[in-house]
Amino acid sequence: MAETIENSHSDEKPKPRVRPIVRFGIFLVSHSFLVSIVCFTSGVLALFLLPVLAKNTYISENALMPGSASPMLSNQHVSDGNRLVKDLTNSNLKSSETGIESHKIIAQYMLDVGAEVSFHKFHPQMNQFHPLHFFSSPDSGKIQENYSCSSYGINTVGIIRAPRGDGKEAIVLVTPYNALTSSFGEVLSLGIAYSVFSLLTQVTWLAKDIIWLVADSQFGEYAAVSAWLREYQTPKFSSMSALNAEMCPDINNLFEIEVHSMAGSKFSNSFRRAGTMTAALVLKVRDQSEQFDDTISIYAEASNGQMPNLDLINVVNYLAVHRQGLRVNVEKLWSFLNLGWLKSLGEIFESLANIAKSLNPKFKFGIPATEYVEGTAILASSLYYQALGVPTGPHGAFRDYQVDAITLEISPKFSLDKVWRNDIILRGGRLIEGVIRSVNNLLEKFHQSFFLYLLTSPSKFVSVGVYMIAFALLIAPLPMVAASLYVDSNSSSNCSKGDSSTPSAITDTDEHGITIRSWRWLNSAKLVFIVHLWGAIVSVLPYFICQIPDCSPTTSFMIWVLLSILSLLILNSVLASPFACVKASQEKEWALVKSVTISSVFIGLGLMSVINFATAEIGALLMVPMCLLARPLKLDVRAGTFRSCCRIICNLVLGHIAFPPAAFFLLKGMLDGFGSANVGGFWMWVESLWAWNSATYLFIGMVQLPCWVLCVSILFHSC
Amino acid sequence: METFNNSKPVLVLLLLPCLLLYSLISFNSSSVEAAMHTNNWAVLVCTSRFWFNYRHMANTLSLYRTVKRLGIPDERIILMLADDMACNTRNKYPAQVFNNENHRLNLYGDNVEVDYRGYEVTVENFLRVLTGRHETAVPRSKRLLSDEGSHILLYMTGHGGDEFLKFQDSEELQSHDLADAVKQMKEKHRFKELLIMVDTCQAATLFNQLQSPGVLAIGSSMKGENSYSHHLDSDVGVSVVDRFTYYTLAFFERLNIYDNASLSSLFSSYNPSWLMSTAYYRKDLYKRNLEEVPVTNFFGSVMETIHTDAAYKALSRRNSGRFEAQMSLDSVHHAERRTLMKVNDQEETHDVNPEGNKQPLQGEEGASKCPWSTFCNKFRKGENVDSLVNYGLVTMIPLLVIPTWLVR
Repeated sequence: MAETIENSHSDEKPKPRVRPIVRFGIFLVSHSFLVSIVCFTSGVLALFLLPVLAKNTYISENALMPGSASPMLSNQHVSDGNRLVKDLTNSNLKSSETGIESHKIIAQYMLDVGAEVSFHKFHPQMNQFHPLHFFSSPDSGKIQENYSCSSYGINTVGIIRAPRGDGKEAIVLVTPYNALTSSFGEVLSLGIAYSVFSLLTQVTWLAKDIIWLVADSQFGEYAAVSAWLREYQTPKFSSMSALNAEMCPDINNLFEIEVHSMAGSKFSNSFRRAGTMTAALVLKVRDQSEQFDDTISIYAEASNGQMPNLDLINVVNYLAVHRQGLRVNVEKLWSFLNLGWLKSLGEIFESLANIAKSLNPKFKFGIPATEYVEGTAILASSLYYQALGVPTGPHGAFRDYQVDAITLEISPKFSLDKVWRNDIILRGGRLIEGVIRSVNNLLEKFHQSFFLYLLTSPSKFVSVGVYMIAFALLIAPLPMVAASLYVDSNSSSNCSKGDSSTPSAITDTDEHGITIRSWRWLNSAKLVFIVHLWGAIVSVLPYFICQIPDCSPTTSFMIWVLLSILSLLILNSVLASPFACVKASQEKEWALVKSVTISSVFIGLGLMSVINFATAEIGALLMVPMCLLARPLKLDVRAGTFRSCCRIICNLVLGHIAFPPAAFFLLKGMLDGFGSANVGGFWMWVESLWAWNSATYLFIGMVQLPCWVLCVSILFHSC
Repeated sequence: METFNNSKPVLVLLLLPCLLLYSLISFNSSSVEAAMHTNNWAVLVCTSRFWFNYRHMANTLSLYRTVKRLGIPDERIILMLADDMACNTRNKYPAQVFNNENHRLNLYGDNVEVDYRGYEVTVENFLRVLTGRHETAVPRSKRLLSDEGSHILLYMTGHGGDEFLKFQDSEELQSHDLADAVKQMKEKHRFKELLIMVDTCQAATLFNQLQSPGVLAIGSSMKGENSYSHHLDSDVGVSVVDRFTYYTLAFFERLNIYDNASLSSLFSSYNPSWLMSTAYYRKDLYKRNLEEVPVTNFFGSVMETIHTDAAYKALSRRNSGRFEAQMSLDSVHHAERRTLMKVNDQEETHDVNPEGNKQPLQGEEGASKCPWSTFCNKFRKGENVDSLVNYGLVTMIPLLVIPTWLVR
């Protein structure tokens, strides 16, 4: 405003040149409608182009040299592993009541090959919601009050010291094993791990210590591994273990027996440590399998969408495919494979690529349609699991300590004869040996390759530099639309004032009016702030609800919804009556509210993309169109044109979809079928999110829900 | 006036002996530069560390073994190894290094003297070794004590690029640095001839800045090319030798200390399809014909034998600088006529003619018997300085007499 006045004063002087970037910005803001449509569609298109743009993976770290050494695992080691499998299955048949017997057997085997052995007993920690514990590292100092002697788990840990190593680094091999209900797959995974372990005690090339953790999975695989890791990384200096032993005589008894029977051996009663962990492999064998091939599935996602270094996956993939002839799988959303429109989209891309190739043979970016569909399915699952923020296996516990870890699940084509079993132990063992030897060559932590990536096949990836483009395009319209709305509402109110009042009145009230008008957005900002505050309250509410004993998920959910509505009403009445105030003051107030909402969503999405990109991406897909399209229904109804009708429909549909529980049910229905979706399911899902400290929960509570409420309030704005 | 005119010839006569003396002296000093090949040195450098660069250490150790086998003694080899693969914990064969997957030859046997090891191998130390600018505490065994008669083999391997060679994963030796060091060496008479052999990617670019005469350079690959490893030892789990070095070694394995294979036969033995890169040699700074230079001139310690009848004369030349000058004069002549030994056996025998004492003089203007030349010889031999002074005084007398006579 002030500038324009100045300009009018110095009219005869040549106008100062506006810098090109400013002019460009003004141009974008003035054409925000067109720009937002172009940006949004290209953002969605870019997302669908990602499988085409995916690059082949490559081993980035020179030191790894996977597969350069020939495997040393021989039939001797395989028969060692087989022996353990037999002994364990026999002991299970004999006494299935306690798992102590099988733990003893494993420990004895470890001692036989000359490894250091110790037991680690732990009490499972209940997952609880701690509002202030997001992003904080898991703490060790927390002392659990009510131990019960009946519920404890025993991890058996074997450590091989590198004969000429400096003992500063270690590689961890984890096999989850439930001694009470041991399945054959678990026992077989122990057999594979043991065959490798017995080999590694003999080799001369170890530079890092090897830790084999047999994690007691009776309270869940993750709990056992994380309990051991907590103990390993953050030692306790209290006399907890002594206390426990006193309290629980039968545990004490177990250790006594062990110490006596293994006198003079490397058995140790205390917790044993090796060096810093370089990498960890979790090995599982699936019981039942419908595969036609021996396949190996890689699970990599840890909490909050963190991924292990791509090199680790590359090494496993390279060795499995090129050395052991195993097929490698990564998770995919199977429902995507049958989508017709996706297939036709793939065909379109393929034909486009063919045309481009015919124009210039150097253009080689096309992939076959089937490959495209498969790539999209894997990409979608990669996005989904990263967005969820819940680890897909026990490897997630390692990522909390910045250790690169993956879970390998071998699913053999199933048959029970001994030859097959030997074969799977041999190949699985050689794969593990190869990976360990490769990681053993490593000089530093994994750092060369990517940490931020999405997989589109086991050997293809989209790096952060590429997938950020899609997100950036999606959220690019937000600031422009916000600016244009702000400018519009200011100028239009100006005009209306100018029309109604006489020119003499303007000069009187001009400066005063300008200051008032330029600060009017504060009113809307207050509203947006209150709604976000409410969002924060809603996110904290479950902490109190879950204190209520004996509450089914459905009732919990209902209580949550009721409390939320109640708190919204209270906030509304206590802090202000924003809607009433808005109505009274300005007609165009909704535009300002929308402008501020869009800005806050932009900030929220931008922040979230740093914390968990996949969440931000999916959130942007839902929220950006809703924010951009939101417009009071009354206005559209009054207009009554075709365009406004379309807008009404879009708004209603988006208003339903973007509501977090609705989005959840829709997603759940798409993935698993609508039969399984119920109200309690959402509560359970939310519970799992906060149990894993997932930032997605915060995002939903503090960005998406307020945004939805604000958009709905705009839709029902009475103007 | 007249007297002045008359004095002109006198001046001419006075100047004449002075000129004569000057020309003799200058002739001597120029012959010093073209010193004779008297000793051989080798500087073998492996510049890269880490286990996966095993092959670079194996390359260097193989070359070390070869030059030792061909006769360069340990005291004249400066071996620089940036890492210790033999004792790396990842080594399946502790304290052993192999350059072939058949594991027949342990390169890290008993008699390996590593002069610079581990983090001592830096660009600074490397340049210090070449230029001889050491701190006072550095022992003689770690110095390159070469002189103007030295043939030096400089072998380097590691990871390189366009005009640089990486040292220790943290520093680089640039082609300018190398050229500068070589130039300093030349200025300080630290070598007679220098063969630089480099096995890295884009090795040829490292020679771009070289200017000093007497330098011959060969690299494993041209600009824009990579040098590749030859084969992988799946037992040790790493590549054990580079292609260029492998074929160099293959060439030398056929040789023994007495063989006379020429440098050109070595250079032509590199087949680009085997190397997967183009071996490049730069010879514009090197005056001799490559076909006439035996490889043992650099890779061994074989040099031309100087035949003398008197057993101790050769030793005494260390003491008398004048005699050495004479010998070197001889060697200039030799160098001109030098070809492969087998080819010109006859000439060799011709050289060793039965003239006995006069053999060293033969390089000059034949054995002219005129008194002037005998005087010259005597003068150069410096047998009796007193007599020289006497001669000078005697010649002065007529010079004094003639002008007085003319003036009168």
